[in-house]
Amino acid sequence: MAGRVFGQSIPRNEDPYLLTGQAKFIDDIELPGMLHAAFYRSDYAHARIKKIDVSEARKLPGVVAVYTAEDFGEFVRPGPLQVPPPTAIKGSVFHARPLMPIAKDKVRYSGEPLAVIIAESRYIAEDAMDYIVADLEPLPAVTDLEKALEPGAPLVHEDLESNLAALVKQERGNYEEAAAKADVVIKKRIVVDRGAGAAMENRGLVVNWDDRAREMTIWATTQAPIPLRNSIAGRLGLFEEQVRVITPFIGGGFGPKIMTSQPDDVLLPIIAMWLKRPIKWIEDRRENFLGTTSERDQIHYAEIALTKDGIILGVKDVFYHNTGAYDPYGMTVPLNTQTHTVSCYEVPNFYTEIRMVFTNEYVVTPVRGAGRPEGVFVMERLMDYAAQELGMDPAEIRRRNLLRKERFPYPTGIIGQDFVEGVLDSGDYPETLRRVMEVIEYEKFRKEIQPQLRAQGKHKGIGIVCFTEGTAVGPYEGARVTVGANGKVTVATGISTQGQGHFTVFAQIAAEQLGVDVKDVKVVTGDTGHFHWGAGTFASRGMGVAGTAVYNAAVKVRKKALEFGARFLGVSEDEVELCDGKVCVKGDPSRSMPLGEIALKANPTRGTIPPGVEPGLEATAYFGPPYGATGAGAVAMIVDVDPETMAVNIEKFAIVHDCGTVVNPLLLEGQVMGGVHMGIGNAFYEKIKYDENGQLLTASLMDYLIPQATDMPKEMVVEHLETPSPLNPLGMKGVGEAGAIPTPACFMQALEDALYEYRLQIDETPLNPSLLWEMVQKAPKK
Amino acid sequence: MQLEGEHVFKGPREEVYAMFRDPEVLASALPGTQSLNKIDDQHYEGAMNIRIGPVSGSFSGKLEVADEVAPEKCTLIVEGRGAPGFAKGVGRVEFIDQGDGTTLMKYSGDVQIGGTLASVGQRMIDSVAKSMIKTAFETLDKALEARLAAKAGSAPVEFKAPTEAEFAAAVTKDMASGLKEVAEVRMLFYVIPLILVLVVIAYLLSH
Repeated sequence: MAGRVFGQSIPRNEDPYLLTGQAKFIDDIELPGMLHAAFYRSDYAHARIKKIDVSEARKLPGVVAVYTAEDFGEFVRPGPLQVPPPTAIKGSVFHARPLMPIAKDKVRYSGEPLAVIIAESRYIAEDAMDYIVADLEPLPAVTDLEKALEPGAPLVHEDLESNLAALVKQERGNYEEAAAKADVVIKKRIVVDRGAGAAMENRGLVVNWDDRAREMTIWATTQAPIPLRNSIAGRLGLFEEQVRVITPFIGGGFGPKIMTSQPDDVLLPIIAMWLKRPIKWIEDRRENFLGTTSERDQIHYAEIALTKDGIILGVKDVFYHNTGAYDPYGMTVPLNTQTHTVSCYEVPNFYTEIRMVFTNEYVVTPVRGAGRPEGVFVMERLMDYAAQELGMDPAEIRRRNLLRKERFPYPTGIIGQDFVEGVLDSGDYPETLRRVMEVIEYEKFRKEIQPQLRAQGKHKGIGIVCFTEGTAVGPYEGARVTVGANGKVTVATGISTQGQGHFTVFAQIAAEQLGVDVKDVKVVTGDTGHFHWGAGTFASRGMGVAGTAVYNAAVKVRKKALEFGARFLGVSEDEVELCDGKVCVKGDPSRSMPLGEIALKANPTRGTIPPGVEPGLEATAYFGPPYGATGAGAVAMIVDVDPETMAVNIEKFAIVHDCGTVVNPLLLEGQVMGGVHMGIGNAFYEKIKYDENGQLLTASLMDYLIPQATDMPKEMVVEHLETPSPLNPLGMKGVGEAGAIPTPACFMQALEDALYEYRLQIDETPLNPSLLWEMVQKAPKK
Repeated sequence: MQLEGEHVFKGPREEVYAMFRDPEVLASALPGTQSLNKIDDQHYEGAMNIRIGPVSGSFSGKLEVADEVAPEKCTLIVEGRGAPGFAKGVGRVEFIDQGDGTTLMKYSGDVQIGGTLASVGQRMIDSVAKSMIKTAFETLDKALEARLAAKAGSAPVEFKAPTEAEFAAAVTKDMASGLKEVAEVRMLFYVIPLILVLVVIAYLLSH
């Protein structure tokens, strides 16, 4: 059976439900007696709370209850931190200020909840907001990352001496010594501004407390069902088993849905216990922009030192990272930036320093890419500036510096988000670059096509960049594989699914081992009632970690099936094999037993299992890697710029990507394209903009622009290089964020090439036509 | 946010200033007022409905008139808040006698806005504000003409303040026509209407 389903482009098991509108999403959940919640949020970004008068709102017919921080008493307190502090990094400073579920005494960002309204309908709950009077004393807001650290800046957390949230310095080699010997040193200020996850479906939570059974069921759009369950149980003083978290189908996650201990999951469960009625909260789009986390927002002071031949001697990067008003997710994002800045190149000397800053803006946590796009943007821009300075071709300077494949495993000397030293496990970076140049016909474009276009006055440019993606980090995930008496297979794992295709790829892994049809494998994700150990869906770790746990469990079940099958068939174990959903005697297919029958007989009540043997055709297994597997790739694109309107048309986009063993090429291509879409948004469309008073100016999809289908490349080529990772038995690496990571850097290089006569040095992302136009106006034309 | 603009009134400064101090006239230029209370000669508070793009709701505010040198200038300090958000601003208004029977009114100020007004209404504010100011000045020009005619004892020029609906229709029509450049109004940024609105409330009060 080997090779039958694994590695094949099998259409997704979940699509018939999704495409015909049969899938259950959170807002489809209706429970008898269900109430609806709405959050009354602060208009001010920074203010002292004098009084919140909700008495009139409570009188509105249909309003069941209105609560402010005082009503929750000691129940309302910060946190906990969702990711631990970076104590593994020597000398690091980290001031933990976990999220407050509802503002008490002070407001720290615009949109911070001041009251929660529970009503018979969402309409009434929202109407009640007009009757709430919040007496707030506005304070000056902090929004500029650099000014925030100047003496005298208003303090977001007044118990701290400054707005510095964390300081982490890491170095390999000695940059200053390397720079002293260099022929060329280039210094730049580079900005990567903020973008949203902007999932199609916003967040939501439905909670039902069964007061007689003393059990709580929570439906949530979470990427981390088990941590969510554990935090809710802990806060309410319940056993974990008394709380069941279920994720229905989720319309996209992209990172922000990993967050727990937020206003909804802290406050609504206890209110449901008080009122003994189910409560639903569905976030609207404005709330999503105000109160769901987002990412990027860094300012880098970066340097690169090279020889005159373009060989890198060292890189230095000191950067400010905006964590927003709180830092509940620790330092995952800026640590990812540190580990991804130089990662695909041979950089003997590297100094990197994080200055994480509190501001009066909403909290920053990972969004697809999670710090990696920032690092790659900085490094790839430095490579381009260096190429310009040295008169080299951008592809050539990269080729000269990429890590050779014989360097793996390559310890980086830099500790990452998983608090262990990064090790690049495997890959062939120069090969991805060579192949992407071939796909985009790089030499032909440069030498033949572009000169003709330029002679005709056309503005078409090419960009080419390289990147890595740290994926599949620990700690661990688990899975249980069960063969039912009907012969079908259930796979249960602790992570949750937001559209990645887990219902298909995990089924492929199990089907491959058990010799059954992929359609006969039912995958359950994100239900703590089915599996209750695990961390969650983040850092492109679904396949590499949970997928490997599924594999490990399926291998155990396969062994068990052969063992029991042989016993029931009265032969020895080496005389049987799996054949089409049965255990067969080798060479005599007439003597066989279906898996379902073996499963039935493997039930001890049937009296066929000797004492001491685990019952059923079932096994549970776990997998945790020592460190994450690193994917990599190279991308290239050709853009056509209209110099009058600055509209940018991406004519061709090519990516050669290496995520190790490919489980399903169809789904893989979808993941890469989705990532590229996000990367294009981060390059030219999507921008979360706060004004200097901390007011969010982009809280609707009218102001926050997401690329449309027509903004995607006219032609897109996705190719794969398969260098299996030695870190797991199937050789898999993650790919969820790959497309998003290199795209802004590549886009800017292509723009500069298209508008070559202006000699632009684009040191920020995202741009938009107006910004690009301004840059061109300021540029000294050749 | 900074805002700045000017407008030429066809009338002498004393008359223009008197009109500017006549709350009924100003109210007619920007309808929507719900209630008004005078605290003292320099301080007022009131409530009104506002609608900017998708954002609407009632708004209550306070206004302080400071540094008044009639008929030359005054400073308006306003603060308003309500379900749609909040606005805080300082506006300086100056009237210059141009020596030819006309008066140049200059205004400038700083405004902060917040809440839904900023996060959702922001994209509409600039264009709504320009249009509201244009419509308001048109109304004021007519009012001035009527007042001057009445004073001269000549045939009365009919002046009837537009209703809230008529005013809104004018704004909508103006926005739909593509917001032609209004020469007198050099709005750099947002929200002069909020200030004007609160001015109206306050002056209405003084009667």
